[in-house]
Amino acid sequence: MTTALSALHLSKTYRYRGGSTQALDDVTFDIPAGETYGLIGRNGAGKTTFLRIAGTLLMPTSGTVMVLGRDIRTEERAIRTRIAMVPQESRPLYFVSTEELILWYLRMRGMDNLESRRRTNGVIEELGLTDVRSRLVSLLSGGQRRRVMVAMVLASDAEVLFLDEPTTGLDPLARREVWAAISRATRERRTVLLTTHYLDEAEALSAHLALLEGGRLRVEGSPESIRSRVQLPYRVTVDTSWTVEELGSYGSVSPIVNGHLLFTREKEAREVVQAALARGSRVSLAPVSLEDIFLQLVGRPLDEDPPAEKEAA
Amino acid sequence: MSERNRFRSFLALVFLNGILPMRTQPLYLVNTIVSPLAFLFFVSIASHGALFASGITGGLILTILSTGTGIQADLVHYKADLKFQDVVVASPVEAPIYVAGMAFSEFVYSIPGLAVFLLLGIGGLEYTVGGSLTLVGTLVLVWAFASALGFTIATYFVDIRETFVFAPILSLILTTLPPVYYPISYIPARFQWIAYLSPTTYAADLLHRGLCAVGTSCWVPPSWTAELRDWGVLIALTAALFFLAATKARWREP
Repeated sequence: MTTALSALHLSKTYRYRGGSTQALDDVTFDIPAGETYGLIGRNGAGKTTFLRIAGTLLMPTSGTVMVLGRDIRTEERAIRTRIAMVPQESRPLYFVSTEELILWYLRMRGMDNLESRRRTNGVIEELGLTDVRSRLVSLLSGGQRRRVMVAMVLASDAEVLFLDEPTTGLDPLARREVWAAISRATRERRTVLLTTHYLDEAEALSAHLALLEGGRLRVEGSPESIRSRVQLPYRVTVDTSWTVEELGSYGSVSPIVNGHLLFTREKEAREVVQAALARGSRVSLAPVSLEDIFLQLVGRPLDEDPPAEKEAA
Repeated sequence: MSERNRFRSFLALVFLNGILPMRTQPLYLVNTIVSPLAFLFFVSIASHGALFASGITGGLILTILSTGTGIQADLVHYKADLKFQDVVVASPVEAPIYVAGMAFSEFVYSIPGLAVFLLLGIGGLEYTVGGSLTLVGTLVLVWAFASALGFTIATYFVDIRETFVFAPILSLILTTLPPVYYPISYIPARFQWIAYLSPTTYAADLLHRGLCAVGTSCWVPPSWTAELRDWGVLIALTAALFFLAATKARWREP
């Protein structure tokens, strides 16, 4: 397995008048080539800082990132010929059509006219932008604009794609179309580094994941290996015919609307399900989701406010 | 990146920021012509036509200077609002190509205005060979100066609203007050040094010396020393601004 990106003891401290903030703290991990790698974490966890450093937009304070075997500190020019990025909260230029924007972005990257047109037509069809191909970007909805941004980089010949929250603001159908396009990119042996707030998205797309919290790498690996590390890998939901006391002996119980949520081990999960079915209760059983794992590992859900910024000395 | 690909990148930036938006929103063209024409109208009326010809040279300078205002607004907008600069940095496009592409794309907006004033000049100015060369040289230098100024200012601003505040101040200092639309001889001799604090006075001097109103002598008498001074100041200022912008600007954040 070849490596597309290697973060080596990467740290970044933002200094400003009167203080500093440590955004990344000694982060080390590898991203295999030809797969989608999900970077998850809450706002302020350091995801975007990591992406900006790896995408040669920002210098690290210490450590480095090797992209396709080249050092981002000293070989940024060589790296830039092989990468493409959709930055967080980026928007397309307004006074051009969807088709023109993608086409001229590709030409800006140095692609010839014939190849640019072929790729533009392909990505427009693939991302469901055919109806708006001639429409001005300024007249597109927020979700369509986001899709155009993603289309630009997917149409490129870049080997490593950096997508910073690419599906924020998209409706479920549009998200699925972007997912399909990202999956195709990895089938073409391109590497995609994806940051997202949507854990279902990270799980659906990513062969490997890294969870950043407070600038530090908390857990890293395939979704299965991460799941195997949690102590209570199953979630059972039962209706209110059960009491918290009854369920408490099986694992960790939380109240939910019209029932209870139980995190438990496989053996106990089977027992609860069998007992619930015998009692005629409504019950469901599933492996824990990434959201559940996040909760167990970090102690707070992903959408909860982050803790106060960590001040560096 | 090969030279051919560099040229493609440059051309794509000119299309994306200049030609395509101009085709989509032709009001951009009117916008670049309105102020210079309005100034020409007022100085011509107020002078009973006496300043029509010098007003044309002023219009040419103001039109080309507007590229500087445009470039600072676009650069800040692309950097802070659209994050387009980040998209460009994380691509094969090199910083000098981005700078050149943006500068030329802004020049595209001034082409219609230049055409209008050059056509008006047929009726009011004598286009000699030497004068025409001076005209082209001066306009190229003013464009380079305006672009350098735009890049320098853009490196200091983080919000496009800051450029809105700064544009009228620049316009006042560079075009409204200095003797661009009128000959410098209209300013009392003891105050003329103040006019030379504005770089556009040197550009106007060059045009007022090189291009004369039809059937009259030029507004500024020929002088080799003044000629050298005017070219020298404009070139030095442009180089200094480019150096400042290059020193301050960061293609990659530290």
